Amino acid sequence: MSSLNSAVRSHAEAVSVSRTIDYIGLFVFFFVVCGSYHIHAMLTMGDWDFWSDWKDRRLWVTVTPIVLVTFPAAVQYFLWERFRQPWGATVCVLSLLFGEWINRYFNFWGWTYFPVNFVFPAILVPGAILLDTILLLSASYLFTAIIGAMAWGLIFYPGNWPIIAPLHVPVEYNGMLMSIADIQGYNYVRTGTPEYIRMVEKGTLRTFGKDVAPVSAFFSAFMSTLIYFMWHFVGRWFATVRFIKQS
Amino acid sequence: MKLLKNWSMVSLLAAVAATSVYAPTATAHGEKSQAAFMRMRTIHWYDLKWSKEVVKVNDTVEISGKFHVFEGWPQTVDAPDSAFLNIGIPGPVFIRKESYIGGQLVPRSVRLEIGKTYDFRVVLKARRPGDWHVHTMMNVQGGGPIIGPGKWITIEGSMSEFKNPLTTLTGQTIDLENYNLENTYFWHAFWYVFGLAWMVYWCRRPVFLPRFLLVNAGRADELVSGTDRKVGMAFAAATMVIVVFAMSTANSKYPITIPLQAGTMRGMKPAAEEKSVVAVKVEDATYRVPGRAMRMKLTMTNNGDKAVRLGEFYTASVRFLNADAYKDTTGYPEDLLAEDGLEVSDNSPLAPGETRTVEVQASDAAWEVYRLADIIYDPDSRFAGLLFFFDADGKRTITQIDAPLIPSFM
Ligand SMILES: [Cu+2]
Repeated sequence: MSSLNSAVRSHAEAVSVSRTIDYIGLFVFFFVVCGSYHIHAMLTMGDWDFWSDWKDRRLWVTVTPIVLVTFPAAVQYFLWERFRQPWGATVCVLSLLFGEWINRYFNFWGWTYFPVNFVFPAILVPGAILLDTILLLSASYLFTAIIGAMAWGLIFYPGNWPIIAPLHVPVEYNGMLMSIADIQGYNYVRTGTPEYIRMVEKGTLRTFGKDVAPVSAFFSAFMSTLIYFMWHFVGRWFATVRFIKQS
Repeated sequence: MKLLKNWSMVSLLAAVAATSVYAPTATAHGEKSQAAFMRMRTIHWYDLKWSKEVVKVNDTVEISGKFHVFEGWPQTVDAPDSAFLNIGIPGPVFIRKESYIGGQLVPRSVRLEIGKTYDFRVVLKARRPGDWHVHTMMNVQGGGPIIGPGKWITIEGSMSEFKNPLTTLTGQTIDLENYNLENTYFWHAFWYVFGLAWMVYWCRRPVFLPRFLLVNAGRADELVSGTDRKVGMAFAAATMVIVVFAMSTANSKYPITIPLQAGTMRGMKPAAEEKSVVAVKVEDATYRVPGRAMRMKLTMTNNGDKAVRLGEFYTASVRFLNADAYKDTTGYPEDLLAEDGLEVSDNSPLAPGETRTVEVQASDAAWEVYRLADIIYDPDSRFAGLLFFFDADGKRTITQIDAPLIPSFM
């Protein structure tokens, strides 16, 4: 820190340098997370988030929170442990959504002309706010992993339902019953995505009949807790200050 | 500081890279790169008809015909137990209004039976102006896309005129081009601003260095005030209240919803097939590399009651015609049609009961252009195709052939 102290001559200057570092730091942080989290998201949930006819009440609901709780867990640790900042999950999902929207708007719509109402990403902010506020209020990683990650998984489906419900209205299409989302997938030809690779409405929860969505959400919440734990340790590993202490 | 700026650039580049790595496939011209045996020995598309070559936005084009699921389906490709009748176009330049196999609407994957022939029909509605190469296509799970012949279709007009109306079972009429769009934007914008507000609340104060120093000094507890906690509680409570409110509003606005419809459709009805009346034995077949020609020696027996002549050899969407016996009038894509590419050493009518051995030569640049000649480099160098015989009245009988192919380099 001595080099920094010698570079500034007054308190006001120190404040302004510190503020500049804040802005650049936030900028860098936002885009580094955007890049890496977005690649992670595309590799893990991929098509589930790309297309409305993959956003079902079993697998999409289960997979998305589980694979996306990863970065928030690690970043929450880093920001809370080192800076006592409770917005690790929020910054993650905001940067991810930023990247996703750029991709969907410019690549899917602007370049390939898929309508945006077919290729929009999932809403993630409610879960992130709950994760962050629970960490802030409890100041406990264990509590956040259990209750926070639970809430993250549980709120995903209700949080998205306002934009999904209109697409699940039934239609009789040339003698077959289809949801609007199914028709979007049928109408807007995806030459590289044949129908059979669509992973929807599959699984062993059939015995629950109509109430599969809550069951999927609970399963997802439970798994999110486990994954949160794992990625919490990833965060610990990345957030080490060993090399700072050495210098 | 310079380091930080460099890092800003790096992070920006990383983000740009991440957003651009995936875009849905915009090209549909994989037809030539697909292994020749896949095209020769899986699905044979024939009797294809394209209703129009030039259409206006909102008009429809119909592609119809037959496809035969080849008996000698290669072992390296999974059987078509889960197959999807697709269309090869560069993105949704057309929308697929309807598609049928054997008269049954097939919006989902189906099970096809090896050895059967099916009628199919695809109705496309023009959406985006341009010249587009439109291919018939069958996706087979475990086998990949099997691409049929492609034809150029021109769309005229303006995409802004395109409409995709739909009437739901609850009685609303909607336009799928923009249905639910405002609602999607609204909720995404709302939550984005909400998340930003949470960050702004914290980032108005010093973000990194001073806090880092205090945490290191063991004074972390001073960094979170009572007000911060109250604001945190308010954000958490507001999140839950808004989600519950938005969900119940959606439920009352859309009381009737169904899950996504999925699952393989079975029981596709094959087309009624007439048994072939000409038996053909392939004595030998060679591909002459310099001449871009395939030569085969066939022993043909006419078991029917009318004299027939060989009019066409079809393989992998390429049609070699014997101009004396048969002419195409369907507007088949020129690059796939050798109008006089089939020479038969003796193509006088083959009388009922007669057996004759002939030399047949199928030559055209298509062997090279469509890389069909690559079959000789395949691990199982067999070729396959269909022979079309015609009687004096133009009535047709189809015989399938499947035999080893020997290359000749001289
Ligand atoms: Cu093409």
